Order: sequence, then structure tokens, then C-alpha cells
Amino acid sequence: MRRGRGVREERGSAGEGPARQGGEAVALSAHGPHTTEPAGYWRSLNELADTPAFREFVAAEFPGLEEELTRGANRRSFLGLMAASLAMAGLASCRWPRELILPYANRPEGTIPGVADRFATAMELLGEGVGLVVTSVDGRPIKVDGNPLHVASLGAATSWAQALVLELYDPDRSTTPLRRDGGQAVAANWDDFDAFAAPHFKRLAESQGAGLAVLGERTSSPTVAAVRQRFAQRFPRASWTVWEPLSRDNERLGARVAFGQPVRAHPQLARADVIVSLDADILGFHPAALAHARAFAARRRAEDRTMNRLLVAESGLSLTGAAADHRVALPPRDLERLVLAVAVELARRGVFLPFPVPGDPAVGERGRRFAALAARELAMARGRGVLLAGPRLAPEVHALVHAINSALGNIGTTVTFTAEPEEERDGPEGLARLASELADGAVETLVILGGNPVYDAPADLAFGERLARCPTTIHLSLYDDETSARCRWHLPRAHTLESWGDVRAWDGTVSIVQPLIAPLYNGRTAAELLARLAGEGGSAHDLVRRTFQEGATEREWEGAWRRALADGFVAGTALPTVRPALDAGRVADAVAALAASPVAGGLAAVFLPDASVLDGRFANNAWLQEVPDPITKLTWDNAALLAPATATRLGVRDGDVVRLSVAGRDLEVAVFALPGMAEDTVGLPLGYGRRRAGKVGTGVGFDTYQLRTLAGFHTASGVSVAKTRRRYPLASTQDHHAIDTIGFAERARRLGELVREGTLATYLADEEFARSRDEHGTKMLPLWQEVRLTGEHQWAMAIDLSACIGCGACQVACQAENNIPVVGKKQVARGREMHWIRVDRYFAGPPEDPRVVFQPVTCQHCENAPCESVCPVAATVHSEEGLNQMVYNRCVGTRYCSNNCPFKVRRFNFFNYAKQLKPVEKMKFNPEVTVRGRGVMEKCTFCVQRIEAARIAARNERRPLRDGEIVPACAQTCPTQAIVFGDLNDPGSRVAALHRHPRSYGMLEELLLKPRNRYLARLRNPAPEGEGA
Amino acid sequence: MSSVPFPLDNTAEDPRRRAPLVLGEQDFTTVTDTVCEIVERRTPPRAWTVAIGVSAGLTLVLFAMLGYLFTTGIGVWGNNIPVAWAFDITNFVFWVGIGHAGTLISAILFLFRQKWRTAINRFAEGMTIFAVICAGLFPLVHVGRPWLAYWLFPVPNQMQMWPQFRSPLLWDVFAVSTYFTVSLLFWYVGMIPDLATLRDRATGTVRQVVYGILALGWRGSGRHWHRFEKAYMLLAALATPLVLSVHSVVSFDFAVSKLPGWHTTIFPPYFVAGAIFGGFAMVLTLLIPVRAILHLEHLITLRHLENMAKIVLATGMMVGYAYAMEFFIAWYGGNPVEGFTFLNRAFGPYGWSYWLMVTCNVVAPQVFWFKRARTTPWAILVVALLVNVGMWFERFVIIVTSLARDFLPSSWGSFVPTPVDLLTLAGSFGLFLTLFLLFLRFGPMIAMAEVKSVMPQGGLELGPHRGHGQYWGEIPHQHEGQHEEEP
Repeated sequence: MRRGRGVREERGSAGEGPARQGGEAVALSAHGPHTTEPAGYWRSLNELADTPAFREFVAAEFPGLEEELTRGANRRSFLGLMAASLAMAGLASCRWPRELILPYANRPEGTIPGVADRFATAMELLGEGVGLVVTSVDGRPIKVDGNPLHVASLGAATSWAQALVLELYDPDRSTTPLRRDGGQAVAANWDDFDAFAAPHFKRLAESQGAGLAVLGERTSSPTVAAVRQRFAQRFPRASWTVWEPLSRDNERLGARVAFGQPVRAHPQLARADVIVSLDADILGFHPAALAHARAFAARRRAEDRTMNRLLVAESGLSLTGAAADHRVALPPRDLERLVLAVAVELARRGVFLPFPVPGDPAVGERGRRFAALAARELAMARGRGVLLAGPRLAPEVHALVHAINSALGNIGTTVTFTAEPEEERDGPEGLARLASELADGAVETLVILGGNPVYDAPADLAFGERLARCPTTIHLSLYDDETSARCRWHLPRAHTLESWGDVRAWDGTVSIVQPLIAPLYNGRTAAELLARLAGEGGSAHDLVRRTFQEGATEREWEGAWRRALADGFVAGTALPTVRPALDAGRVADAVAALAASPVAGGLAAVFLPDASVLDGRFANNAWLQEVPDPITKLTWDNAALLAPATATRLGVRDGDVVRLSVAGRDLEVAVFALPGMAEDTVGLPLGYGRRRAGKVGTGVGFDTYQLRTLAGFHTASGVSVAKTRRRYPLASTQDHHAIDTIGFAERARRLGELVREGTLATYLADEEFARSRDEHGTKMLPLWQEVRLTGEHQWAMAIDLSACIGCGACQVACQAENNIPVVGKKQVARGREMHWIRVDRYFAGPPEDPRVVFQPVTCQHCENAPCESVCPVAATVHSEEGLNQMVYNRCVGTRYCSNNCPFKVRRFNFFNYAKQLKPVEKMKFNPEVTVRGRGVMEKCTFCVQRIEAARIAARNERRPLRDGEIVPACAQTCPTQAIVFGDLNDPGSRVAALHRHPRSYGMLEELLLKPRNRYLARLRNPAPEGEGA
Repeated sequence: MSSVPFPLDNTAEDPRRRAPLVLGEQDFTTVTDTVCEIVERRTPPRAWTVAIGVSAGLTLVLFAMLGYLFTTGIGVWGNNIPVAWAFDITNFVFWVGIGHAGTLISAILFLFRQKWRTAINRFAEGMTIFAVICAGLFPLVHVGRPWLAYWLFPVPNQMQMWPQFRSPLLWDVFAVSTYFTVSLLFWYVGMIPDLATLRDRATGTVRQVVYGILALGWRGSGRHWHRFEKAYMLLAALATPLVLSVHSVVSFDFAVSKLPGWHTTIFPPYFVAGAIFGGFAMVLTLLIPVRAILHLEHLITLRHLENMAKIVLATGMMVGYAYAMEFFIAWYGGNPVEGFTFLNRAFGPYGWSYWLMVTCNVVAPQVFWFKRARTTPWAILVVALLVNVGMWFERFVIIVTSLARDFLPSSWGSFVPTPVDLLTLAGSFGLFLTLFLLFLRFGPMIAMAEVKSVMPQGGLELGPHRGHGQYWGEIPHQHEGQHEEEP
């Protein structure tokens, strides 16, 4: 547990917090708030003119004119001053530039220049925290990983978390407060804002906050909660609204319906033998997705000869659906009532349900079969199964799900409950109320703390226009975005990696967010701003410590604080488990309401969170834009996802632009036919089509929020599709073009060899089923004596396809670790994406009900590497330890190696991608990895820099390398630990065991490549008779 | 036969007597005058001026494109992963192939005593040189870092690193550079007597000096002729294996790799046949207009054209056989991946290019079964142009379709050329034609001395074993000695 140790090592210094990190950051950010402003740095001409230094300078440079030049401003003197300034600017350039980066006169304790430090921190996303460990080199955070000690991370990190680094160094982030008067943005500074805010809010305080409204993002931060309380004391009449476009309100409402009290459900997947998910993407989009994925995958490896079974019903195709053993794609109208069908089937099987069972609901033949299968599985696994519902389904569905789990005895075993710490609703109703208040002119001052409601509010609220009616609007955000453009004040927000804060994980565990660097652009955190508005001031650091101190149980809270910083969480803060009692009466009402709900026909739209940009907040993040969607493999775009049959019926194909209309609102959007989509359903990923996202994200994709209304918030029925004649290029990293018939047939034929799959039953009958294919196939014999590799270690990797859920976090991890460039949509469309590890996604079976398989592919480090023998300049060679090495310096770029690579894992620098980077963007680079210039080939190195770092550490400590000590970036972040790396020469290593594993096989072994990466065949666990889906 | 009136038809086969290879009322003087007049006339023919204007313009386009490439990166082309080679290597193999006809005509036909080569060998050799220049350009510029392309040569260096000798690309470097060197020498050595003729006829000082230097002091003495003939034959013997080896080595780029569609043992003979096929087509493409514009019908006769058409037919069928055999082996070999590659070639997304290739290379030359087609210059020109297109597409099909779909379907891709790709290809034609046109104007485009040896006045018709190009025939006492040494 090197990482864990690393975290603890920092205990002492991390606690120093701002002092030390700020000290480093001064060197890097010339205009940071903590920087002592050097004399001669001026903010405005007036200020400059008033300084004695300036007077002296003018006197020296323009003897006799100093009076004229430094006198107060009139037009002539202003112009004269301008001219003098320009002249002096020229003179100044003749001098030695002022050096702001100072060497350490005394090395700070615990810091070795060039040696990476790791700090535990946390990030908040949609109100839920995930513990992180951030690697920092000489004051620059360069890599975000999961915190192995944190309950919601377990060492893994999502793509979003890992891309924080790129967001931090985004040159498009706003750098200064802006004041907009009549649409004209004027750069201001914090002093200007404070000068405006102090009297303004004082006046508001006098009226007890009448006319003041706050619109916030969902947050679980105890500090924000505390400051908010104090804010409410100063402004008791102020209103507070929480808004999240990806609201989980239905879950909260459903729990309240079922139990009569706010509780939060926690599926315990480790204990579940049967998981039935109704539109719940527990592996992809859930606050505890990382922990779920770990627990889920642990039960998929069949090492104990059992596996869990996952049944999924959904409208789109989610990661959870892709991992399912049985899956049915149902349009939203059927999906909503599927829970009733499950209840009916359960009742038929003699399960006593605490509510009156309705008559057979119409869910279609496929839905009925699925319900029967799900009911059978759940009934057979009482107390060992779990039924889950997703946040798009109505609260009544959630209530029913809780009731069914309760009836099956699952509560307390496979699903546990805690109190709901933030019961506040964040759905569209609150925003609608605020919008109507805005429309009425009841709001005089609106403070928007984060979020981007002008972009992501339901379209029928016309939030942007209503916002403009509010005389004083203040928007705190990372970017000068759509909402900022409509507000009087835009204030730059401090980035997670530059702020102090705190957050609760899904299970309630509190983490302290500590900064890795002083704010690059003078940003403030939401708590800081709020505290200032509440009239108390204080830095974010002080606020967080105050909250911590107030909540501390120990007297020695300083020690606890340091421990919390070092560990990345506050021990013992998880929410206590509760055992709520079912409110049968309300559940019965819910059943009746659900059964009576009208059935909408026609095409329905489903609004989906996007795997890359989430709800649009990450639109300007190039890593996330370029990482392909796990399912569609689209980059730099969203599209209207249609089932192939529906697309055929509508007469459209991939890339056709169609006009979608819902309730009088139109949107032109490109079509993408996705196998596994429900029929008569349009999947609309949210978060694209941003108008003011920044240079990266503006104008990328289609703004599907334009079709989202209060009535059709999660799903909208009555969608009409009109063809246009236009086509739109979509850039995907796989299946770059629609495939022809022979290609389709061949792909299907090869799939079974490349991605080997079996069921648990096949595996139990023949453990070596994955290899038996090789024994009957073509065998090649070596023509000459093979080279013996004599290194002390023989590095190898094993990837368990049974565990891989295809999330693509490894791709972002690799991108961050190995300084992999982003190439943009046009280059991706040309087939020039640079990812060293890719996750191949294949569909098998009928397009309406496909099996989805994922296969991460890195360089296989073949012992008989075909790339090596064809390089004319010996730029790619084999190490004695079995690594296929790429020597960038030697590469001339013939690209022959790529042609001869059967896995096509080599990537070529077609352009000088690092050339366009701004200085601030270059701060993200990992100094341990070369930034490649144009014209050279590159590929996966098995993170050789980490191998060497571990080797040096072991050598210094005079001990052998330990198994598990070297973890490549992809393996480190993998939520399911599907990737294992190690030494084959160590027979006890995990990788050696996996290479010997009966499920292991090498891809394209018939070519005699002897790949060092072996796959473990994927296992599924379908229900024995295959009854149902 | 020398009295056959115009039109000059010498294609009739009469087994009793040899068909004449120089027609009309020609003697040594008229031959010299005809050939030298092209160089010596004050103004070139209008067609030449127009042609060089166009080709020089295209050459500038080539340099502009290369400049853009060097400053920006390989990304200006359409190449990608998986199709990491596309137009670049297609052009390379195409131009190397073109070169082969020249050497074949000069060296192999020389050794096989094919008298008719004399009128076209110089021309074809020149074409070889220029085609190899175009060919050699592409491997150098296609690398990602062209400023380091010299690392492909075994130059002693401070890194103490040799190139990697197992790589077929390195073999290419040796094969092509050897080929270029030998071809250049062969061409130049053969030209010395004619350069001396130009020198002797030159009136201006510049010409006298330049041709004088190039003629290396040739005085036409018996000793000179003796040494010259020895050297020429040695070079012919050296060049002959190169005809076979160069394109075999070029084919190793593909045959040695693992890629289905490339990994096949048929490639060396298949490539050599294709190269000769394409090369002859290019000779015909250039020769027919030149012959008409410069009025050389009496030196480059219909019989020459017909002979070449026959070779095009023969090699075209060899190429067709190779196409069929590739498919047969893909099926017979039982390797499913290879099987798919060929299925994909014919019926996949690039199927159109495959059928274009088959039409141009296999179907079009079949008209040469008809004598009328073989003896109609414009018909030959049309077929030759089609073959040029077909041979370019042959390389495109081999390279691009194989790369576009290899082992893992996830990595299948496609290639779409950019304007830079197309302009670079056009520019390489510009460079080739510019060099060629300059040679027409400033060099002896027909080997005068050799043509004279096949004229009746040359007296070589008299001896029993004398073939064309056996220069020793003119020096009786030496001829006897040489003759005895002949195996």
C-alpha cells in the first residue's frame, strides 16, 4: 500500500496547509492573492501615478516634466500619461525582467525539489464527495488519483475527478471579477466587488434580506451549511434554492413516500447475489459508483465458483446495462410501470407484498418476460437480492422498490439505509419557483453560487430572460459562462484543487478539501463568498477549520485535523444506519397512482447524463471531450441515440441531422444508431452545445437542454422527428464509418476469438474453456531459437474482462500520467486519437438486444514484437525485462512499426501537439514523462517511469521490489481492479497467478507474438433456463 | 526494306529477313542530324515549351507541398492509425516500378541481344533515373522527422549506432541507392560517345565546355571504344540482377511484415512483373507523343512500339496471374484473417479501387492480342495510360486496403486523401516530367552510336553472330579476340 503510506507521510506537512503550499504557489502565480505585490506593479494608471517610485522615475526620465506628468487627471494629462507609459513600457523592456521565481534559500522541511508529494483531498460532484490523492511536483498538482482509504473511492477515481488537473490549468477559466453594465463586461477586481457588496448587503441586512435570493448547487459541505446558517441569520427573509440538472430528487421523494422519513438507500452489492436494476446506472452514474463497481466486480470473478447475477431494464444503454447478464431495453412508458409487473410476478410466486397488487400492467411482451425472470430471481434469493430504481423513475417507483425489498427481506442485508443528510430538493420545482419570483420582480438581488442555470434550466422557464429582470445578480463560477453573461457580477471561483473546503461522501463520511496550489486566478470558494456576504469575512481555511473545530469531539482537535488532512477523511463521520419502517398506506397510494398514470404513446425522449461532460460543467475539458463515450465511442459530441430499428423506421442513419420537436420546442441534432437502445426512444445526452464554455467546449455537440421542460424533465413523450437534408460529421474512435456487410460478418466471426466469453456454467464445467479454442486452432512453431530475456524482473499485465465495466477511467488516467496530447474532433475523425490505452467495445447478438463486451487494449509488450524488427533505426527495442520500449529520441517516424502491430496500439504524432499549449497548460505535464514532439511514434510503456521510481526506492531501502508496489496509472484508477501488473519471475505475484489462471488467454496468440498482457475470459451468469429476456 | 515509303510500317513478320529498325532514307549523318537537331535548334517545339511550363509549375507545387509538410507534420496528409502509410509509400513503389523498364530495356535486352532496344534505351534509361529520383524522394519525406532521415543510412556517428539491419526499410535504402547509382552510371557511360558528338557539333562556348566536360575527352579512338564497350557490358551485367532485386526488396517491405494482405511469398516475382509492366507502360506513354512531336517515326518505329505492346501484354498477364494466385492462396491457405483481407479488397469499402486496378491492368492490355491495336499508336497510348493508372492503384490497393482492416475489428479504419496528398502526387509527376523534358532538350535522347550499329550501313548485318550493341564489331581485330572469349 504505497499510496496509503504516501498519504500518511504527508501528515505533518499537509497540516501546515496554506502556509507551506501558499509559499510554493507564490513562486508560480505572479498575481496570486497571497503574493506580496512588488513595488512598481500597478493596478491602474491612477495608482501608478501616485506612487513615489513612479514620481522618482518620471523625474529621472523626464526632468522638468514630472509635475505635468503626475498631476491629477484631465484629458490632456491623461493622454500625456498614456504616451509616457507607452514610452516607458518600451524602456522597461530594455531592463532585466523582474524575477518572481525565487530559489529556496532554505529547503522547506520534507520537500525535495523534483520529488513528487502526494496530498489527500476530496472533490465534490453533484453534492457528493470522493476522496482523492493528488500528486504534486514542486508545487504543481499534476495527477489526481483516488484515495485508497476513502470509502467512496477505494483508490479509484472517475474520469471527471482525474480531469480536474486539466480544468485547474484551463486558460479559459475566468481570471478576474467582471462587472457587466448594459451587456458590456468590464474587468474589475475583488476590491471593486467588495466595495460594491459591503454597502449593498448591509442595506439588505437592514431589510432582513427581503428581495435577496440565493441559488446554489447541491453541496454536502458542512462548512457551507454552517456559513449558510449564519447567512440566514443575517438575512432571515432571503430565499435559498438548490438546483442540479441531474437531480436525484425522485429517490429522496420515493424514500419519503415509502418510509415517511428522509432516508438514503445504500445498495450493498457485495452481499447481493441477484441485482435487479430498473434504470439505475449504479456502476456509471451514482454517487457511490466507484464503490459499487468494486463490490460488483468482486463477485464476478468466479474464484469462489459463484457469481452475482445482474438484471437490467433501461431505456438507454448504460454501463450497468452493458455489464448485465440479462437486459431489456424498454421505452420509458413501459419502464415506469415495470416495477408493477415485477410486483405482480412476485405475488404470483407467493411473495407476500405489503400493498395491494394491481392488475397486469401493460409493459410489452419483453417487459413481461423480464419482470417474470426478475421476480423469479428475486424470489429465489430472498435476503440475497436487491431491486434498484434509477433517478429518472417516478418517486412512486422508488417507494414500490423499497416495499418490494422490504417484503423480500433485503432491507438490512443487501440494501441498508442511513438518514438523508441533505433532504433539500434540487429538482426543477425549486428553480421554477425562483424563476417565477424573478418574473414577478420579487427578487432584487440574486446570488448564484456555482452552477449554470441559464444553460441548464428547463427550457420553458426562460431562466436567462427572467434573470435579466433582476437588478443585481452575482454569479460565482469557474468560467465566465452563459449565466455569467446574464449577470451583473461575475466572480471567479476557486478551483477544487486550489480551495479549502469540506464535503460529505455518499455514506456521510466527511473529507477536508485542501488546496494543492494557491488560487491561480484569485478565485474564492462559495463558502468564502457567502461568509463575506454574511458580513463575517475570513478565509476559506479559517472557515473550514472553524467548522471542524465546532464539530470535533476531541479536545485535541488540532491533531484530529492533521490526521483528517493526511488520511483524506474524518474517521467516524459516516452516517449511522437506520432501520426505517415501511409506511404501507402511502405505498398503496403510490401503487394506485402508478397504475393509474396515463400511458403516453409515440416516441419518447430520455435525458441522459453524459459520461464525458456530465451535465455540461466539464464541457471545456479537452481530456473528457476526447475520451470516447464508453458505449457510443463518440468523442467531442453528443447525438440523438436511436435503436437501429427505430432509425431504419424513421429512415435516418448515423450523422443525419433531424429536427426533434417536443411540446413546441425544436432542436436540430445528429442521429446515432445505437444497438441496445429501447425502441421508440430517443436518448439525449445532456451537457453539449454550450455557447460560452470556452475555447474547447463552445459549440461542441447539441444543446439537448433546449428540449427539456418542467413537464418532460427526465423523459418527455410525444417527440416528433423530421428529417433534414443535412449531415453532420460525428467522430468516433471505433467504427469510424458505418460498416459494410462483409465487414460486419467478419467482425462477428472474429469477436469470439478476440474477446473470449463464457458463462459461469461453462467455466464450472471446463475451467480452461477459454483456451480450448487455441488447442484446435492453427499452431505456429518458431522458426529459430527464441531470444531469452534475462532481466531480473519480467514485467507483465493481466486484464480481467469479467471485471472490466468499460468506464474508460483508465484512458484519462493514462492521458494524465503520460502527457498524452489531445488532438481534437477533426483529428479523431481522421483516426489520429492518441490514447495509449483504449477500451474496445463490441456488440454481439441481435442489435435490439445486444451483448456488450469491453476489452481494454494497451501495448501487449509482445516478446516477439513485430514492431521491433521492422524499425530501420532501432527506435523500438526490447528490454531485458520484457518491455517493448519506444526511444523517442531515436524515432524518425517511418510508422512501419504501427503497420506491423497487429493490435494497432501505436500512436503517431502527426502534428506538434504541444506547440499550441499556453504556459499555464504546460504546468499539468508529468515531469517524469517526455513530451513528444511531432513525427515520433509513441505507445504504452507499462508506465516505465513508475517502474523505475519503485526500483530506485527499493534500491535505496536495500530491499527487493514487492509485488503490487508498481502500479501503472490505468491499474491504479481502475474502479474494479481489472488490471493487474507485476513480475512474472516472482511466482507468487498476482500477475503470475493470473497468467497461470485457467481463464487467461493471449490475444492473437496464433501469431506467436507471446504477448506479455493476458486477458482473463469474461464470464457471465445468465439465469439457467434463460427464461425471460 | 529501307525503301519502304511513308507510312513507315516495319511490323510485317517475314522469317526470311530481319525487319529493319531504322526506316526511310537514312544514313549516319541523317541520324546524327535528327537526334542532335533536337538539342541544337534555337527554339524548342511549342509543345515542349507548353509541357515544361506545366510540369515546372507542378514541380513548384511539389516543393510547396513538401515545404508545408516539413513545417507542419505528416498530419497534412490523410495518413492515420491504422493506415499509417498511404499515398507516400504508394507513390514510392509506383515510381520505383516505373524505373524498372529502363534498366530492363538497357541491360537485359542488351544482354539478350534484342536489337530493337537501341532506339529506345537511352530514353528509357533517362526515365529510370528520373523515376528513381521521384521514388527516392518519398521514403525520405514520408518520415515524421525528415531532418533525421539520414539515420537510415549507415553513417558513422557519435551515437555509435548502426541502423537496424533486420528492417526491410533499411534494405530498401540499400537497394534503391544501389539501383540509382548503377542506373546513373550505366546511363551516363552509355551517353559518352553521343555527348562527344554533341560537343563536336556545338557552336557556342558554353555548350562546348559543358558537353566537353561531360564527354570526358572522348575522341572515338579504337582504344576508347574498346574500354567503353567493356565498361558498358559490365555495367549491363551489374544492372541486370538489380532489375530483379530492387523490386523484390521493395516488396519485402510488405512481404516481411505480419499484416494479412502483405504477408505473402508471391510478392517478389509479382512486384517485379508489375514493375516491368508499369515501366513499359510509362515508356510508351512518354514515347508515343515525343515520337510524334519530334518526328522520330523513322527511328522509333512502329515495330518498337509493337514489341513493347507485346511485353505489356505478357507482363500484364503475369500480374493478372498474381492477382488470381493471391486470392487462391488466401482461400487455399485456410487463414481466415487473410481470407477476409482479400474478400475485403474486392468487396469491401475500397472494392472500387480493386476493380479499377483489375480493369486497367488485366482487362485493358488484352486488346494487344490484336495486331491492329499493337500497331496503332493512339490505341497503345490509351492502354498505356490505363496501365499507369492501374499500377498506381495496385500499390494503393495493397497498401491501403490491407492496413485499413487488419486483425482487430476495433481498429479498423479508412483513409481519405487530403488535397496535399493529391497535389504531392501531381507534383511528383511534375518533377518527373520536368527532368525528362530537360533531358529531351539538352541530352542525346536517342543513342546515336547504337542506332547506327543496327543500320545496314553499320555492316553488322553481315556477320553471323553479331548483335546490336556489340561495338567491337567495328574493330575487326579486336572483334575476333572478343568473340573467342564469348561463352
